[in-house]
Amino acid sequence: MVTLTTFREFLAFVIRRLASSALALFGVFVLVFLISHVLSPDPARLWAGPKARQSTIGAVAARYHLNLPLPQQFYYFLKDYLTGNLGTDPVTGRQISSEIAYYLPNTLELVLAALVVIVLVGVSLGYVSAMNFGSKKDTAIRIFYLVSWVTPTYLGAILAILVFSDYLHILPSGGMYSPVINAPPPVTGLFVLDSLIAGNLRAFASGMYHLALPALTLAFLNFGIITRVARSSILEVRWSPHVKSAAAKGLSERAINMRHVLRNGLIDVNTLSAVMFGWLLAGTVVVEQIFSWPGIGQFTYTVIASDDYPVLVPVVLVFTAGVILANFVADVLYSVLDPRIRLGGAR
Amino acid sequence: MKGAVSRIVLVALIAVILIVGVVTGVALTRRGTATQSSSTSSSPYSSVVSPPSSSETTTKSANTSSLVVEEGQQPDSLDPAVTFQTSGWEVVEQVYQGLVAPDGTSVTTYVGVLARNWSVSQHGMTYTFTLRQGVHFSNGDPFNAYVEWFSVYRTLIMNQAPAFILGQNLATTNGVNFTVNATTLNSMNYFNPSPSNLSVMEYPLQSVQVLGPYEMAFHLGYGYNGESPYNAFLATLSTPMAYAVDPAVVEAHGGVVANQTNSWMQSNALGTGFYALKSWISGQSVTLVRNPDYWAADLPVSTLNYALKPAIIPTVIIYYKSASARVADIKSGVAQMIEAPVQDYQAFQGIAGVNATVLPIQFGSSEGIYYVYMDPNFTPFSNPLVREAVSYAIDYAGLIKSVLDGYGIQYTGPVPPGFPFYAQATAGLSPYRYDPVKAAELLAQAGYKASLPNGTILNPNGKSFPVFDFLYTSDSALETQTAQIIAAELQAVGIPASASPLSYAEYTSVIYTVGNSTAYPMGLAYYSEDFTASIDYVSALTENGYVSASAYYNATVFNWTVEAATSSSNQTISGAFSNITKAMYDQHVLIWLFVPEFMAVHADDIAGMIPNPAGSGMGYFMFYNTIYYT
Repeated sequence: MVTLTTFREFLAFVIRRLASSALALFGVFVLVFLISHVLSPDPARLWAGPKARQSTIGAVAARYHLNLPLPQQFYYFLKDYLTGNLGTDPVTGRQISSEIAYYLPNTLELVLAALVVIVLVGVSLGYVSAMNFGSKKDTAIRIFYLVSWVTPTYLGAILAILVFSDYLHILPSGGMYSPVINAPPPVTGLFVLDSLIAGNLRAFASGMYHLALPALTLAFLNFGIITRVARSSILEVRWSPHVKSAAAKGLSERAINMRHVLRNGLIDVNTLSAVMFGWLLAGTVVVEQIFSWPGIGQFTYTVIASDDYPVLVPVVLVFTAGVILANFVADVLYSVLDPRIRLGGAR
Repeated sequence: MKGAVSRIVLVALIAVILIVGVVTGVALTRRGTATQSSSTSSSPYSSVVSPPSSSETTTKSANTSSLVVEEGQQPDSLDPAVTFQTSGWEVVEQVYQGLVAPDGTSVTTYVGVLARNWSVSQHGMTYTFTLRQGVHFSNGDPFNAYVEWFSVYRTLIMNQAPAFILGQNLATTNGVNFTVNATTLNSMNYFNPSPSNLSVMEYPLQSVQVLGPYEMAFHLGYGYNGESPYNAFLATLSTPMAYAVDPAVVEAHGGVVANQTNSWMQSNALGTGFYALKSWISGQSVTLVRNPDYWAADLPVSTLNYALKPAIIPTVIIYYKSASARVADIKSGVAQMIEAPVQDYQAFQGIAGVNATVLPIQFGSSEGIYYVYMDPNFTPFSNPLVREAVSYAIDYAGLIKSVLDGYGIQYTGPVPPGFPFYAQATAGLSPYRYDPVKAAELLAQAGYKASLPNGTILNPNGKSFPVFDFLYTSDSALETQTAQIIAAELQAVGIPASASPLSYAEYTSVIYTVGNSTAYPMGLAYYSEDFTASIDYVSALTENGYVSASAYYNATVFNWTVEAATSSSNQTISGAFSNITKAMYDQHVLIWLFVPEFMAVHADDIAGMIPNPAGSGMGYFMFYNTIYYT
């Protein structure tokens, strides 16, 4: 039953979280500005890239106002971002905003696919583990998720290629789709989804085929935390008084597990999944590079490797915004699923 | 309960879609690769190419219709006037064409591509070209002298990083009464020029002069080299900077803007070449398809040189993949050519169906020659004895073994090994020698405290060598390892070098700083070719003002450099290079380290690559049109 009071509490909570998220974003913005504009003795030369000609360095300095006093530089920096005028990538000559718009959906596709697998596998294993607490099955699952958890991303990705591409020859070692097929017109920017929208099954199959290995790898390297949290939450709920009451009422074990144990045990998983979205976003830098996935992670790697500062700065902010947004969603989700968090926040 | 059922149905549906998608993808792809065949072949490095006839090629298995190439770095740009990386040139060289190209066997001789023939004036100041007729772009637009005039001036006006390659000898102005600017270029009709257009293009006192629809002249002397000939001019003209671009296409996408790139041209390509660009999936791959309307396709085969022949393999897909993915793909037959470091040579020897070959050293030289620079304005390094001590302090053989697993050679520069005149320039000179005792003795002789390998201190009351930063770029594992070893070896004899990494951009901002001194008086540097000519290396490493890059400027040496660049006599050039090499060697201004060798890796059943260090195809050949399945 949603009352006006609880809705007001919820709204106040959301506004507070929104404000703190905006503040965090601004803090990162200032930090990024200082790092990119102050630390180097000659930012214009740095921003213009290796072997840039003097005229290019001058043009970069003028475009990004690097010859002005620092407060004015910050004013223009802020103005550019608020108006979406990020300028041109000095390495590729393309609009930076267009580049981000091209790469970001590819990453979202990978992250969302991985997240679906993570939640499905993580929750299933957590449930099985909790329901078989102390058994060999429980031990095996705990070992399995710990192995996945401690595996470094680069190692897991390379091993996946060695096994599935090099040894078994069943999945491609990289890429997002076969370049010989006709790509669907972009609608959402998510290749697989756009293929379905266009009814292009060949493109869809190619997209899924290429998506499988990087998404499964990303999922394998990250499902452990979900399994662990699901397991401990389910165990906690399983032994709670209301579950014992349900059993005393004569409900079947299956009904108790599905309605009471699993539903309540997954509150933490729901919120963690939102936070995990941010982690996965950051984790794509290595995975996309190794799997040649043309996403924002691989783009970031390229940008760093070519010292492409005018692009690196907005890309860092995109990652930051992604992580902050994910945390905001997690907070809101948690407050919906467990209203006590709002009250705690209000106090 | 209803909700639970619908959720289960939804999850099941998603799972089915995912599984069907992956399985279909696997099935479709495996059907395409199942017919991969393998056979042995004679060495593909022969300059004599004997591709099979078209009937033979059509009898091959299905996937011989495409060649999959995998390398690490995607193109920086597809605009011939902008790209300045091997991966960019590699694509551009297949789609666009220039007047000339290096011939298949040498780096100093050329074949005509869009030029039928050419002549050089007596003093080497004017190159006159007769162009081929009937050439057209893949969209049907014709090529002529006006188009080439536009293309060369476009590069100069856009003034991007590689423009200096042409700018050495050509300019947009004669400095007196003639200037070409972006407005001029954007206002002309190049397919049917008006009399006023012709009056501009035919004006004689300019760098590029149109003599007729299919005849043109390049007048040297307007560039920053000054009024002198340049014997490597054809090398500069064979680079993408002088490739023909379609003025109509450029005009339709924003025209020419001074000092700026063209965003359409950056990621699209339309030229006269044997391949056309199908797609560039940024971050993933470039796909080239045989140009269906290639102008030279119908010409008699006997009239075609290797740079003109129509492509044999219909599709070339260049993927940009991680090192582990590349190795997995060549082993599994997914890729037919990959880029791999020479240190992996032994690892490839046991792989069936894969051919790995270490190429002659000139291919390594075109990738990069490594040396240590010293800033002569830093007091200790102004003393020749100290510089000589440095040359004895480095264990060159150990370095090559440690960082290259032995796949490199020590050399004496600045002419790179394997390039023309290297043997003459280094005749009688042995590469620098490792002798830490001699290094310590020289240091002591110069007045500094020094250490012998057994720990004995020489000249204990001598001056202490000031601690200084030894610069290197941390972006390269090879350079990081090399710099750290050298710093340790210098410390061992009493030179307290502190290995100091910078990112590549910051590193180059130090290396290319014009001035008298830097915060990094010593460091590790390398040079790779901008165009294939010995003089390119020599000029760069003896250039006035670039303290850290060259660490050396001497008026006498500079005059020899001019002589080597401008003379048409091989004897004079050889003598000049020899003098430069000897002077730099004796004065120990740059400590020449090593040239890493270069490895080619490809499937056994492909052939037809024509190695040439001027080429960017996988770093060792120029054109994909000659490659075929055996």
